[in-house]
Amino acid sequence: MEKIARIDMGAAGGPKVTEEPVGQYAGLGGRAMTSIVVATEVHPLAHPLGAENKLVISPGMLSGSVGSMTGRLSVGCKSPLTGTIKESNAGGQAAQVLARIGYAAIILEGKPEGDDLYKILINKDGIQVIVDNSLKLMDNYPLVEKLRQEYGDKVAYMSIGSAGERLLLASSIACTDPELRPTRHCGRGGVGAVMGSKRVKAIILDDAGFKMRPPKDPEKFRDANRKFVEGLRKHPVTGEGLPAYGTNVLTNVLNEAGGYPTRNFKSGNFEGAANLSGEMQAEMEIKRGGNPTHGCHRGCVIQCSGVFNDKEGNYVTKQPEYETVWSHGGHCGIDDLDAIARMDYMDDNFGVDTIDMGVAIGVAMDAGLIEFGDWQGAIRLLEEVGKGTPLGRVLGCGAEITGKVFGVEKVPVVKGQALPAYDPRPIQGIGVTYATTTQGADHTAGYAIATNILKVGGDVDPLKTEGQVELSRNLQIATAAIDSTGMCLFIAFAILDQPETFQALLDLLGSFYGIEMTGDDVVALGKKVLSAERDFNTRAGFTKHHDRLPRFFYTDPVAPHNQVFSVSDEEMDTLYNW
Amino acid sequence: MTMPLETHLILTLDSDRLGEFFALFQQGVAVHIRLGCTLEELLCSQWEMDPEYVKSRITTIFLNNRAIDDIAATHVGEGAVLALSGAMPGLVGATMRRGGFYAAMRGAMTYRENEDARTQGCSTLRLKLFNLLLPELSLHFLKRGIVLERGRAMAFFREREPEFWSGCHLALLNGTQVTPHIFSTTEWLTTEHLMLMVNDRNAP
Repeated sequence: MEKIARIDMGAAGGPKVTEEPVGQYAGLGGRAMTSIVVATEVHPLAHPLGAENKLVISPGMLSGSVGSMTGRLSVGCKSPLTGTIKESNAGGQAAQVLARIGYAAIILEGKPEGDDLYKILINKDGIQVIVDNSLKLMDNYPLVEKLRQEYGDKVAYMSIGSAGERLLLASSIACTDPELRPTRHCGRGGVGAVMGSKRVKAIILDDAGFKMRPPKDPEKFRDANRKFVEGLRKHPVTGEGLPAYGTNVLTNVLNEAGGYPTRNFKSGNFEGAANLSGEMQAEMEIKRGGNPTHGCHRGCVIQCSGVFNDKEGNYVTKQPEYETVWSHGGHCGIDDLDAIARMDYMDDNFGVDTIDMGVAIGVAMDAGLIEFGDWQGAIRLLEEVGKGTPLGRVLGCGAEITGKVFGVEKVPVVKGQALPAYDPRPIQGIGVTYATTTQGADHTAGYAIATNILKVGGDVDPLKTEGQVELSRNLQIATAAIDSTGMCLFIAFAILDQPETFQALLDLLGSFYGIEMTGDDVVALGKKVLSAERDFNTRAGFTKHHDRLPRFFYTDPVAPHNQVFSVSDEEMDTLYNW
Repeated sequence: MTMPLETHLILTLDSDRLGEFFALFQQGVAVHIRLGCTLEELLCSQWEMDPEYVKSRITTIFLNNRAIDDIAATHVGEGAVLALSGAMPGLVGATMRRGGFYAAMRGAMTYRENEDARTQGCSTLRLKLFNLLLPELSLHFLKRGIVLERGRAMAFFREREPEFWSGCHLALLNGTQVTPHIFSTTEWLTTEHLMLMVNDRNAP
């Protein structure tokens, strides 16, 4: 990963490719690369869908190596959904392949005149930008099938569906999994619309002729990887819970805790939760010849992905994630996993974020467009998105726009992005993260539960009810660092509990780059990323007043705990003090 | 003559049929307990679980929708709902973990003891099992006996597929051997509750 490719889609005479050494961005990967490039090069007041915005695609620091769990791909830009800086990442094969080809980043710049649609082929011969108008308004599944006929099965594909082409603000970028299904999405923040604005429909990544990226110290790297994998396999979350049930294992527990947002955040309990649980989902998948234990990219040890089949044993979609089951399920008062799986497929096919899409439908239900629990109606609304009707375009622009168009008072968004599946009133600390993250409401922004090991910002007494801001700050710093490595965030559970696994992670990074890594280095990287993101947002006009939850979380208690969000504004305003 | 309050059903099943009871445990089943004990005493003494198992595997516990940190200091009261879970992913999973580093993030979700929980006597508790604990603990409770409401019990047995009954080697209804077809009728359960006990035919 010694070079960066810039593709000026708006160059006179057609798209122009240039390559350059990584230069000032040396040593960066993943979120660190995308955010620092965007913060450095994109005008903060640029229109997100205009020529001044850039779409930065970067594999993680360890992607393309034989290191386990290193397959996350980051995509960054100024977000059309939030107006803030955005990093959205996904699994799938793209990160590994792009890293092996040798690019630390692909940067899409400019904006072409006219309405030609392009595909980009990246292989051992370099980068070709090819007009292909036959792909216009194709959705992801048929699109990848068509591309496979031309480029085969030994490549990775990134693509946008019709939603991205239509510049819908909740549109995603799909990455194919090992079976070449477009199931892994950079979902949040409308990154698909930015790719669509550059008129790029697909990127074909072909690493034929390339080898795995070699570590500087192969023996130490091999040893560290072995210990790292052992640590993941022996931990009950990464070695048992996630492989058996996937992320949807959380449904029962969140519901029992009274933190499962139901019917547009009106309650913390959903009576139909048991029908949506990961346990139920895994049982259905096994009975129907699907698979609850599957890796979204090669080299994954945790295997939290899966395959969901219908009653006849035919493929419907990948195993829907917890957030998706919630957004299309409990949030909408729907308790039918078959209906939710169908909507998950539609989201992936059209290329929209499953969280913002589901939340938008729930907000539309709150507006009376259809009733809560009406799964047939929810599918009809989603079909509107696929058709690109005016109603579909409203819904496909996410929960905030939908709420405004239909006059809904209580819309669960921060900086325009829909809240994920945890109510911030009973779980106050996650509310702090939703409110203050640089990305708009995002549970993964404060997900790296390794802060006790990292000692980020000192120790917090875990039994004190104060300290939510400090906890959130520490989590956000740790997350920004892990997002830069290319590692899946789920490694954090083993790191949290097993110091030797955390040391193995440091040794993986250190032996790969031939340096000594410490926890302090990881913390410094996280702070550097967050500082760059925060600075961009400030220059884009965001102030502390944007770091707030919607008002109803402060005024409307939610059952069963009858809590409101009560962390003070003054406390939240200290989050970035370091 | 007084009517019995519970009908007793004892099944002997192949191990691979036990998964059919998991949905019941997720939604909750009633079990008889002695009140006034701590949660630790309930798990380790009344229910005879290995303390090491309780410590290492039952890492997330909810009592009446609130997360538990200290099982030795928590008493189980009348009408309690107890949910047991293995380790959970995600920040929220870590937050719910008992005594975990992120317990501070859950605020109002944390269980606070009150005096009512120290009532003495016998009662039923609604028990829920989630995720990894379903295969590990369901049989433990099925052997001891679970109580189902009449409508729920009848629906459960009515909905069993032939594969379930082919794995059922003995069914004793109030001590009398019965054949599976009886469960498709409405007469077999006349009491409000069913005490169900299940033995694993393949257990050593």
